[in-house]
Amino acid sequence: METVINDYVSRELVQDPALLPLADDTSLLETGILDSLGLLKLVVFLEERFGIAMGDTDLLPDNFATVNAICAYVRAREPGRTEATHG
Amino acid sequence: MGDGRAARLLRSAEGVAYWGAVAPVLARMPAALGYRIACWRGDWLYRSHTAKRANTERHLRLFLGELNRSAARHAARDWFRFASCEAVDVMRLRHRARPLRRLVEIEGREHLEAALAGGKGAILCCAHFGSYNSALSVLHTSGVPVTTIGRWQHKYTAGMSRFERRFWDWVVARRVRRHRQRPMIEPWPGRIEVAALAASALRDNEVVTISIDAPPLDSDKARAVDVRFLGTHARLVPGVVTLARLTGAPVLMCSVYRSADYRHQVIEISAPVPMAGDTAAAFGRCVAEVSTAIRRSPASWVYWPSPVDFDNLGMSPLGRHTAPARRLIPVGV
Repeated sequence: METVINDYVSRELVQDPALLPLADDTSLLETGILDSLGLLKLVVFLEERFGIAMGDTDLLPDNFATVNAICAYVRAREPGRTEATHG
Repeated sequence: MGDGRAARLLRSAEGVAYWGAVAPVLARMPAALGYRIACWRGDWLYRSHTAKRANTERHLRLFLGELNRSAARHAARDWFRFASCEAVDVMRLRHRARPLRRLVEIEGREHLEAALAGGKGAILCCAHFGSYNSALSVLHTSGVPVTTIGRWQHKYTAGMSRFERRFWDWVVARRVRRHRQRPMIEPWPGRIEVAALAASALRDNEVVTISIDAPPLDSDKARAVDVRFLGTHARLVPGVVTLARLTGAPVLMCSVYRSADYRHQVIEISAPVPMAGDTAAAFGRCVAEVSTAIRRSPASWVYWPSPVDFDNLGMSPLGRHTAPARRLIPVGV
């Protein structure tokens, strides 16, 4: 999952080649990689690729701070994971 | 009245008194009388606010070359009248905006309904033009679920006291946001969730409005594109196009025109604007529609008096002797 998301962010959202290769713990916010429209692109991608649905309350900077944070968020939201969590 | 510190304080106090006490009374009078009195106040401001009047007339003539001196003076006077009438519009938003709805006609509603039938919501592309905030409230109370992307001016105008910010929030923003489907989506720097919140409203087949003529904030300037606007070049943020492409929502133009009697208004909604081509080309079509609306009713555009806003739009007439000519001399007018 880290590779898939890192590839997408590197390909679609990184404007400054100096930031590549992108480390999974690089801050996407402090480096300016992720802006408002970038987050929307990323949300659309994550929903289609991993079959998750994101609500308005999920749109927190912490969930999208780094590739690692995105992966942690997606894993928590993946179908089956929520059911398993709730038994 | 001059433009010194005392004059500015007096005008600020007059503005507070007008919006806080006079306009609510005017809004309860018969419309013909209420708006007539608002126009008298506009005429007084036009005569007394010499610097603002001069800037308005100068910018009108610079960017709308077809206006002669007399027409520019007339448009500038109407600009002050419209600003006073807008206060009455806002005060008529009481009782689910019924007092204002009686005065506002919606043209092109069928375009909006057809767009919503597609199930992907619709983006209403507006400008800071006419009494747009009140008009969108009227649209919402007529049964269209409207959410607005935008910043309240009183929250970012420099030099305002905390009292003034609270006052404008209580007098204006409170009345307008009452007639929206969702809380206003405010695109402040660092608020990365803005576009996703708008997409969420569109997914629920609602209408999202966005004004495309706002001067970009410093944090947005890297995203701004060069477009032809009012016969010259301007730097504007094409977020509306990206939002439309990512969500599949159609983009319709929306303009609000005040009639010659000052009390009746028409909201005009266009058919969807084609989003084909690159981002700058698609956005250019939206901006061209705004230019057309401004030429049709010059007094309705909010930014005429402000050299700072023209500067931030990349159209600064202040730099006419130093900046590249393409940015300063109106083209094709």
